[in-house]
Amino acid sequence: MMIGTNRTVRGVAVTNPVGEPSLGGEDERALRRRIVERAVAMLATDVEPKTVWEGRT
Amino acid sequence: MPAAPAPPLELATFAVRDVAAGAETALRDGVLTVDVPGLEASVAGEPGLLGMTVHLVRPGESVRVLNVLDAVEPAVKTDEPETTFPGAVGALAVAGTGRTHRLDGAAVLATADFFSAYDVTALDVYPDGDSFVDMAGPAAGLAYWSATPNVVLSFTCDAEAPPAEADASIRRTTLRVARDLAATTLAAPPEHLEPLDLPAVQSDLPRVCVILQVASEGPLVDTYLYGRALRGLVPTLLDPREVLDGALTAGQYDWAGVRDPTYFFQRSSLLRELLRRHGADLCFCGVILTLAYLPSAVDKERSALMAAKLARQAGADAAVLTTFQSGNSHTDTVLTCRACERMGIRTVLLLAETNGGLTDHVPEADCIVSVGNEEELVSEWRPERVVGGERTWTGRPADDAGPVPAVAYLGSLCQMGDMRMRAVSW
Amino acid sequence: MKVVHYVNQFFAGLGGEDAAGTEPVRLEGAVGPGKGLGLEVAVTLACGDDYFGEHEEGALARLLRWLDEEQPDVLICGPSFGSGRYGYACGSFAREAARRGVPAVCGMHPESPGVLAAEGAAYVVPTDVKVTGMRDALPRMAALARRLASGETLGPPDQEGYLPRGVRRNEIAERTGAQRAVDLLLAKLAGDVRTEVTATFDDVPPPPPVADMSNATVALVTESGLVPRGNPDRLESNRAHAWMSYPLEGLDGFDVADWETVHGGYDTSVANADPDRLVPLDAVRRLVAEGSIGSLHETLYTTTGNSTPVATAAKFGQEIAQRLREAGIQAVILTGT
Repeated sequence: MMIGTNRTVRGVAVTNPVGEPSLGGEDERALRRRIVERAVAMLATDVEPKTVWEGRT
Repeated sequence: MPAAPAPPLELATFAVRDVAAGAETALRDGVLTVDVPGLEASVAGEPGLLGMTVHLVRPGESVRVLNVLDAVEPAVKTDEPETTFPGAVGALAVAGTGRTHRLDGAAVLATADFFSAYDVTALDVYPDGDSFVDMAGPAAGLAYWSATPNVVLSFTCDAEAPPAEADASIRRTTLRVARDLAATTLAAPPEHLEPLDLPAVQSDLPRVCVILQVASEGPLVDTYLYGRALRGLVPTLLDPREVLDGALTAGQYDWAGVRDPTYFFQRSSLLRELLRRHGADLCFCGVILTLAYLPSAVDKERSALMAAKLARQAGADAAVLTTFQSGNSHTDTVLTCRACERMGIRTVLLLAETNGGLTDHVPEADCIVSVGNEEELVSEWRPERVVGGERTWTGRPADDAGPVPAVAYLGSLCQMGDMRMRAVSW
Repeated sequence: MKVVHYVNQFFAGLGGEDAAGTEPVRLEGAVGPGKGLGLEVAVTLACGDDYFGEHEEGALARLLRWLDEEQPDVLICGPSFGSGRYGYACGSFAREAARRGVPAVCGMHPESPGVLAAEGAAYVVPTDVKVTGMRDALPRMAALARRLASGETLGPPDQEGYLPRGVRRNEIAERTGAQRAVDLLLAKLAGDVRTEVTATFDDVPPPPPVADMSNATVALVTESGLVPRGNPDRLESNRAHAWMSYPLEGLDGFDVADWETVHGGYDTSVANADPDRLVPLDAVRRLVAEGSIGSLHETLYTTTGNSTPVATAAKFGQEIAQRLREAGIQAVILTGT
């Protein structure tokens, strides 16, 4: 994508990479968990250089 | 340009070679005299302020001006002076047409020590870093206004009032003073009259636009268009002459060296160069104003696409991309570069460096102008006098601050390209 | 002019790979390639490439002590050509010498890790990747060394034949940045693409995937400026001078009462209302409990990534990576703002 990180999961925003204040509570925690699960999956995946996955979907 | 271009802007320039205190405020034989007590009294009643002290500083004097918020060129609209800096201090009108009188060679500098009056860190986004203009010494080449006599308005804020209120009064007063100083020439025949026109040109010249990046994240870190803070700005097409004629004003006080004081909007070397070459070797087809520091990847991508799309709509073959501040905003710049290049619009970027590093990059950014290295230290200087405060932002005494990084000097690495500094590899 | 020369075990004649573990040694006069420099070498210092890599601090200390005893006018290291370990040792020793006031010259291939290790403090003469470049490299290194020893200030890299030291120096151009931008843009449209800044970003190939995350230890690293409330170690809000580590034992998440962010580069109000929005400790704990992740490394590595010079950030990354490697960590979740 840009500067060369090989495994990137796209988070929510600069101010809250793994949070979403407009959700709050259990919904926000579920979103955070989803993003981390993507990260865990990516760590176990063979990737091309500079790959970016979506975190929220 | 569209089918009905705006009427030309006519700049009448009056040269100032010195400033002095005097019984009345007037311009005579190149000397701008200022009624200092009258000027100081004029701030009474402005909310959020306890007072204003006026200092006159000249190039070569052993003076360090600090906590400089903005530099403004004295300017006034001749037909309707009350519309000068429309929306910001003036009544609303479209800027960039008709006649404007300006004083060349002198500036109004506004200073205020926000850090002493307020807990600035309580703001969601707060400014960082010192802002110096040294009138002599080793850094005298770094800030543009080291070489001009300046009328310094040193504001004292009311600690009981919200900082945003004090800042609004500071900006309003500074622009008003800049207008009133230029208004001393209203009765005089113009010394030097220059039309800034954008006639239709032959179609085989390359069409060039500017994508002008500003930042606006909240009070003390805002930029203003016709007096309105630009948070939430969607990429917007402007006529360059609006920018040169007071439509855009500064209120962003982060890192002094890498931001654009109002003076550089008014005098923009970039816009002036493109206007000069319009019809000769290019066609200047507009200015697209965009925001930096957009908070998410999606917001950044959206803004980049919309800016590029507007450039295409304006018929641009190429674009000059400017940057505001550094770090996060470099991502906005390179994403906009990529969006343009993918639409076939070739780009050049203006970027400041930090010790050889660029914060972000895309392969399409193959043409970058360096405006210098922010981190390079200027050797220490002990001025005889300081104006605008006693201590630096890091708590050092202002007259004994030690070596100072280039980025601490107002406008020194302005990424609209108004200065001549650049970094080269050693 | 007093010269000290540094070589590895092979060029010192102490043996090949079998001698790569040789401890630092001091030899009188010129040895091996040092004899081809055309300069009088007072002392040759040598060290095994493996020994240096595994005992860097101790090796450097010894070498620098000898250097200090000799007080030479210049230190010459290598040439190390394409060698990784030898190049790294040369670059590191040269860097430390230069920072202590002894001008230093290395010779190596431009892609050797020793170039970065020199951190711009020493002068690196570019050489061939193979040892067959020796006859070409030695006189160029010697010429530069001679001039540095005499106290001469060198000109820019492309003129003088050394690699750019990553130092960018400000100068005043004839025209404004804006004027240069318009010139460059029109030139680009005519097919002549030129730039004043070349971005150099590392191309690191992606490490192979973790075979089994349910058995792996994951570490949490962040540049979001997350620290214990009160910022006990005074992490800066910008231009951080260091990274910090804090224990995570017994924590299921970052409680707002105990943690905050001091980052000055973004609006921190959202994160300070719930610090797990910066570093997903609560989510990781949950995944560990469920077995998707083997375990969590019980230390958080944190710094403020705001206005950090690139070289400093690279150093932080290398140092943290070193710690994680020593702790047997297989994977990292790094959050950025």
